[in-house]
Amino acid sequence: MDVDVSIVVPLYNEEESVGALYDEVRAAADRLGRRWELLLVDDGSTDATAARLREICDGDPRVRVVRFRRNYGQTAALQAGFDHARGQVVITLDGDLQNDPSDFGLLLATLDEGYDVVSGWRRDRQDKMLSRRVPSLVANWLIGALTGVDIHDNGCTLKAYRADVVKRTRLYAEMHRFLAPMMSLSGSRWREVVVNHRARRFGRSKYGISRIWKVFLDLLTIKMLLGFTTRPAKWFALLSAPFLAGMLLALAASVYIQLTLPAGERYPLVFPSITILCAFAFAHLVILGVFSELVVRMGDFRPTETALSLLQPGGLQS
Amino acid sequence: MRTERRRADPDVSIVVPVVERHGDLEQLYREFAAELARLGRTAEFIFVVDEHLRGAVPALQEIQGSAGQEVAIVLLGGPFGESAALTTGFARARGARIVTLASYFQVEPSGLGPALQAVDDGADLVIGRRHPRIDSHFNRLQSRLFHGIVHSLTRTDFHDVSCGFKVMKRRVARELSLYGGLHRFIPLLALQRGFTVREIAVPQRQEDRATRYYGTPTYLGRLLDILNIFFLTKFTRTPLRFFGLLGAGLFAGGFLIDLIVAVEKLLFATGLSDRAMLLFGVLLMVLGVQTLSLGLIGEIIIFTHARNVRDYKVAEVIRSPSRPEAVPGLDDTNVVSASLDDTGVGGVLQAS
Repeated sequence: MDVDVSIVVPLYNEEESVGALYDEVRAAADRLGRRWELLLVDDGSTDATAARLREICDGDPRVRVVRFRRNYGQTAALQAGFDHARGQVVITLDGDLQNDPSDFGLLLATLDEGYDVVSGWRRDRQDKMLSRRVPSLVANWLIGALTGVDIHDNGCTLKAYRADVVKRTRLYAEMHRFLAPMMSLSGSRWREVVVNHRARRFGRSKYGISRIWKVFLDLLTIKMLLGFTTRPAKWFALLSAPFLAGMLLALAASVYIQLTLPAGERYPLVFPSITILCAFAFAHLVILGVFSELVVRMGDFRPTETALSLLQPGGLQS
Repeated sequence: MRTERRRADPDVSIVVPVVERHGDLEQLYREFAAELARLGRTAEFIFVVDEHLRGAVPALQEIQGSAGQEVAIVLLGGPFGESAALTTGFARARGARIVTLASYFQVEPSGLGPALQAVDDGADLVIGRRHPRIDSHFNRLQSRLFHGIVHSLTRTDFHDVSCGFKVMKRRVARELSLYGGLHRFIPLLALQRGFTVREIAVPQRQEDRATRYYGTPTYLGRLLDILNIFFLTKFTRTPLRFFGLLGAGLFAGGFLIDLIVAVEKLLFATGLSDRAMLLFGVLLMVLGVQTLSLGLIGEIIIFTHARNVRDYKVAEVIRSPSRPEAVPGLDDTNVVSASLDDTGVGGVLQAS
């Protein structure tokens, strides 16, 4: 079965909304005039979601369900969707009906203008101000400031991707929030469009304010990773610079004490010890940097490989 | 050899790692074989003997000679320990259910029936909990201490994770990758891979009462094992969260100390050069950065090997008409050897 568009929806305990979700997605997808499939990823739901999905599956051969053994989180669910998708374009959206399937057409049209990824921007977000929108504003500003990729709404799940580009990006841990910086690193063309956002009709949000420290840490990690992975030895050398400075300062201090103070007032151990300690740390980091070159060479991260998609026919339609 | 193994697969494979002390193996065999016969299940026994206990082999061969069912004896080539013994046994096991037993008398055979039943009822792994415990207070105290630490670090509530008596589906046994001291944490590893784990109470044997004191090296080893499992179940995808937090804490401590020392120098003219605290602060900062940089290396390893990483385990793929579908290459039964799996552990002695 050839498929043009794969629609991927991660679901976690959404028993009330899956029925309505399926109806809306089907109606919107049928209007596209393309061959589509719906991939529902059940992220270890503990309620009746699985049974509902089975019913939906029975009635429509275009629907497939991937069920996880346990709850693995949204990143893994999206990755599973990308792994199983057969279409040339992959559209992802949230399972809670807050995204509007009638935006599919806009996303696809924008993608066809020659982009690899089109991301939704929930400009009129229908969520609680304090617990959802303010943290999100801060996070998006931070991501933009630290990675240089200026996106208004990194957290919006409603996105459309060229399958050959997204299938080359591996997601793990909680990376789904940083898809924009991750993919722009490999040279993907990225575009943001304003999409509709609706208030929650069923159930409760599964995220709270507690995730913000994680986002912050992950962001730092990714910021560092991007630099460290392309030029590890250089960045480790940079990390070691303060210790080089410390070493030189302590060395100067020990020489100064040795030359100026009378013998009785010298405490000969402290500054020479600091010199040696800093030298050790400096050496350790430089050696680690060289070692990390080995690690990167042994790995399979090839930023240029993903960027190549721009030159392939179909990767860019313009 | 080949033709002999063509016999019908047994219902249950019993894997007995003979790696530490062992009791009367013949009696152990007879009791459990009788219980299995009573339950009406066909069985095979697999004894995996560590090299330094090869003295147990003649007794096992006698069992083999007189047994009415298949009894395999595998002699390991070195002192490889319980994890390797279990992995070897799992690789040979052909039964749909796999039972592991300690090589000494730990639980009554009467626990088999309920445990097998629990697996039939849907659990992937059933672990025995020796309950009520009849052994010495010292044993119970050290067990409670061990589990206290395990509970607080992994947020699970198993009472007897390291009990040798376990019943599992073959799939579970094939997927676990055990090495070092990980055999003590099989339930935690199975949980992480998304299997359902149940704990049932089984009566403890009289022979298991003897007070066990293992010595300091063993206890320190256990502590390392716990730290290891804590890391493996939580931070294999995000090493910087672990090392970074640790490193940042150390660095901050060192920085604070040196800040205080510097302020004292400025305000009270306390000489810098006679302060050992200054040295200590620098030491902490150095240690902090080194710890953090190791976390960075960890992140780089994960990031640059992301293609071999699969973060999720698929239970089933449903399509219309609704029936489970095995996806070649994507399904969970074939473990890609030498790649990173959920535990972040490569295919160590992986069953194929």
